[in-house]
Amino acid sequence: MRNYFLLLFFIGIGSTFQAQESAMNASEIVSFKEKVIATAKTTKSIKTDFVQYKHLDFLADDVKTSGKMSFKAPNLVKWEYTNPYQYSVIFKEDQLLINDGGTKSKVDIGNSKLFKKLNQLIVNSVKGNMFNDADFTVSFFKSSKYNKAVFIPKDKKIAGYIASFELLFNKNDAQVYEVKMVEPSQDFTRIIFSNRTLNSTINDSVFSN
Amino acid sequence: MIRFLAISLFASLLVSCTLRTTEGLRQVHFNKTELENPYFSNPEIDYVYKAKIKVYSKNFGGILIVKKTGPESHRVVFTTEFGSKLFDFQFEGDTFTKNFVVEDLDKKFIVNILKDDFKLLVNESTTVLAVYESTNQRVYKTQSDERFNFYFIEDKSEKLEKIVNTSKTKEKVEIVFASAEGKIADTIVIKHSNIKLKIDLEKFKEE
Repeated sequence: MRNYFLLLFFIGIGSTFQAQESAMNASEIVSFKEKVIATAKTTKSIKTDFVQYKHLDFLADDVKTSGKMSFKAPNLVKWEYTNPYQYSVIFKEDQLLINDGGTKSKVDIGNSKLFKKLNQLIVNSVKGNMFNDADFTVSFFKSSKYNKAVFIPKDKKIAGYIASFELLFNKNDAQVYEVKMVEPSQDFTRIIFSNRTLNSTINDSVFSN
Repeated sequence: MIRFLAISLFASLLVSCTLRTTEGLRQVHFNKTELENPYFSNPEIDYVYKAKIKVYSKNFGGILIVKKTGPESHRVVFTTEFGSKLFDFQFEGDTFTKNFVVEDLDKKFIVNILKDDFKLLVNESTTVLAVYESTNQRVYKTQSDERFNFYFIEDKSEKLEKIVNTSKTKEKVEIVFASAEGKIADTIVIKHSNIKLKIDLEKFKEE
């Protein structure tokens, strides 16, 4: 029993050391949401680099991949991995257009609710505007460095794949700079954005295979 | 005529009963009784590969991660490029544990194929039943439940180049390795002969 309390104590200490993070109060939540929604509304396009870290508890190092992401309002998204391999996925209407190092394929996601949900999640998380999603319970946190929204799926099927989904926002411009997807096993994927360009012209041909 | 047909039929039966794998090879005496597959044997290394899977005419991609987690155990995890897990297997001696399989793949025959393929890939040590010789390779025959595995080792470099899994008469699965230094496989191709399934693996480049 004593050990158990000690453990809790250390976990508590650990998490406070990690980030001076606290829950937002009701008025902070309102103003934070307003800011994110206002930013999302004026965001017509995004170009950004990203680095993805896949954390698995049994590995010595996270699996690191990186590339570029392009978004064009209302719902065109292209993820392009360039290191250590070439792979791109375009989210377009009810289809995924995949180019796996030259091998092209198409996946219809029209009749898969789960895929549609994941697609929507990706599009909305890029913009940050997904607070009205009825499928998630959302909670809000703040620190000196960032604002954070944590989404926990209500749907059991989605919960089988994602325990929680976290978005970290810059304090100043309310843009998403990190996405973290935690699996039920507690393994997670972190995507960190950098070199973001907003509202430049992106040709539609970028979103075709 | 009937006799001719009977003879041809019998002859073709005879032919199909011979295993292609060791055709034309000379059986030799051997004193090496244990055979090692070195490619997933270092517990210090995270083995990470880009995977391309072709099933019939469909293509899938992903990341294959293998880690030696104990003297006789390996963890084998397959994720999408985005990082979500498709399956997570654990092999410990002869014990197989399915930690996770995504719903669409969680069908007995699929899991069994994946289990058998990856067990063959990571299995490190087996007992030698017979040895054959070709011009530049030694071929070690080992038992694998009801089936056999043939390990092809190049004479000069002593690199493991290929594993062929067979029934008594037919080749079932072939794994071909390419390795520059013999300890880590740079590319791996897993190919089935009875179903149209091919898995191409390419090791992540060091940064």
